[in-house]
Amino acid sequence: MLWLTWRQFRSQARIGLGAMLLLALYLAWLDHQVHSGYSDTLGHCSGHNSCVGPLAAFADHYSFPVDLLGYLLLAVPGVIGAFWGAPLISRELEAGTHRLVWNQSVTRRRWLAAKLGLVGLLSTGVTGCFSLLLTWAAGPVNTVLGNRFEPVVFGSRGLVPFAYAAFAFALGATLGLFLRRTVPAMGATLVAFAVLQILVATAVRPHYEAPVRTSVTLTSEMISNLSMIGTYGDIAGLHVPGGPWVVQTSPLLDANGHEVGHGAWYQDCTNNKSLTEMPKCLAAGNIHVVISEQPADRYWTFQWIEAAIYTVLSVLLAALSFWCIRRRLA
Amino acid sequence: MTPVLEAVRLTKRYGRRLALSDCHLSVPPGRVVGLVGPNGAGKSTLLNLACGLIQPTSGAIRVLGAQPAADPAHLAKVGFVAQDTPVYADLSVAEHLRLGRSLNPAWDDALAQRWIARIGLDPGQRAGRLSGGQRAQLALTLAASKRPELLIFDEPAAALDPLSRSGFLDGLVELVADLGASAILSSHALADVERVCDYLVVLADSRIQVAGVITELLGNHFQLVADRDGLTEADLPAGVELVGPTHGPSHSTMLVRTLCGAPVTGPWHVRPPDLEELVLAYMTRSERPWTGSAPMTPEVH
Repeated sequence: MLWLTWRQFRSQARIGLGAMLLLALYLAWLDHQVHSGYSDTLGHCSGHNSCVGPLAAFADHYSFPVDLLGYLLLAVPGVIGAFWGAPLISRELEAGTHRLVWNQSVTRRRWLAAKLGLVGLLSTGVTGCFSLLLTWAAGPVNTVLGNRFEPVVFGSRGLVPFAYAAFAFALGATLGLFLRRTVPAMGATLVAFAVLQILVATAVRPHYEAPVRTSVTLTSEMISNLSMIGTYGDIAGLHVPGGPWVVQTSPLLDANGHEVGHGAWYQDCTNNKSLTEMPKCLAAGNIHVVISEQPADRYWTFQWIEAAIYTVLSVLLAALSFWCIRRRLA
Repeated sequence: MTPVLEAVRLTKRYGRRLALSDCHLSVPPGRVVGLVGPNGAGKSTLLNLACGLIQPTSGAIRVLGAQPAADPAHLAKVGFVAQDTPVYADLSVAEHLRLGRSLNPAWDDALAQRWIARIGLDPGQRAGRLSGGQRAQLALTLAASKRPELLIFDEPAAALDPLSRSGFLDGLVELVADLGASAILSSHALADVERVCDYLVVLADSRIQVAGVITELLGNHFQLVADRDGLTEADLPAGVELVGPTHGPSHSTMLVRTLCGAPVTGPWHVRPPDLEELVLAYMTRSERPWTGSAPMTPEVH
């Protein structure tokens, strides 16, 4: 059974493994560059009194390839689900070859077990390798930026990509079994996986543990790194030192806890100062925000929880397809 | 002896469409069974039920004394060649044999190799490039080389040209005899059935119309020929069942079934039916809203 499964999957596997190999070579090279760049930077700046500037420059230099690889890794499970998972069963049903193979002396369950087992293992393995290599190569950059809890970075490092791949593969295979047609199954897999990924990152992940409410005083450096400062004191894109995940941010508040957005002083700072002067102007007002955050030390708890959720979902999908292949198929 | 195929009140529905309804059937072993009927009569449904690809809606079907496709041991005993003889287009002929070898513990590789050589298939050829006849032969080789006790063929020769059809049927008969297996083959081509089968099952309108050994069926059915409209069912003696009347321009003919010899006395003369007349009479009967006990009303002019 394994021979047949491998023989049918061979050409797809070659493409996937070939792409993975090229990526691994690039990641190994990138890893070397990043780590030597990091130790050079630390070596040079240790004589001076501050490493902040040189490290920021180092992170900035590598953030483009690292971000790009992160987005790529987020897409990999979806692609695997669509190209390895969805055709796995639907192609047999479409060509009618299931009527040939199900009449050999092997039960359908064993046939399905071999298919799901071998191709599922490869899917998880390929994605997992990519994740480990990227986690390793991008480690210093994420340490400097303190951003490993950010949705894109969180989803493309550590354990969760393994579980995403297992899930997307099981999803594709199961949809193929139900829809019985390859192309619709591929499309449905991509859409369903993308929707779930967005839903989990925005609506589910923030609630794995109760967020902590805390107040953060804004320095001029934190203000200059914000992605948005609104006309009436709303802000977005706050990075808090230490790398916690900022789930929610209040508008800017003064020392007494009142919103400053409508005050004349705030309007003066935002309207009449240049972009370089504004952060200093605002910081001089001793302003703070109240945030709810997931502290940085919960990172691995969150990784395990999310990996577990996706693993359970994959097992349920696999169980469903085992049940269905015995019961209702022609 | 365990019947190779036994159906009790077998019913299969696809949504609201009834494909098989309340079928009773018991096929003895050692026969080559021809399953005939018009398109859409339920032949494929019955064969797919027999090899366990689908499950009955109600009733039961047993193949070689067990539920179809119950376990690997039972799967090994039944060889199935599906309609349109599906094969893996990407795999070569040799790889198909390897598939059969790795998935069937009782695989007879010598038989497979001999058969492939005899029908002249190139082992390196990809199955997607084979002609329809070659593909059917490959599917037949795969099904036979697992040395099953029962071979099931679903319209195996339907798409073949007359030459490949003839070659295929010859091979089928020879393999079934070699294996000492029983076989069931569905067809809407009566000539094929007449050529290879010794047992007949007529399926029409989702019901079994008649089943039996062909020579026995031909022995207890008779054609009664009389002047046109000179014949009604009321004229038939007791114990003679009317299957179907046909009215020609000058003569009327009735196909009747009896268990006590030819009904020689009557306003008719008797001749034996051929297989085609017999099958057509049963198929036609299924299309008429006619119950076996109602008297026939002759046409009035």
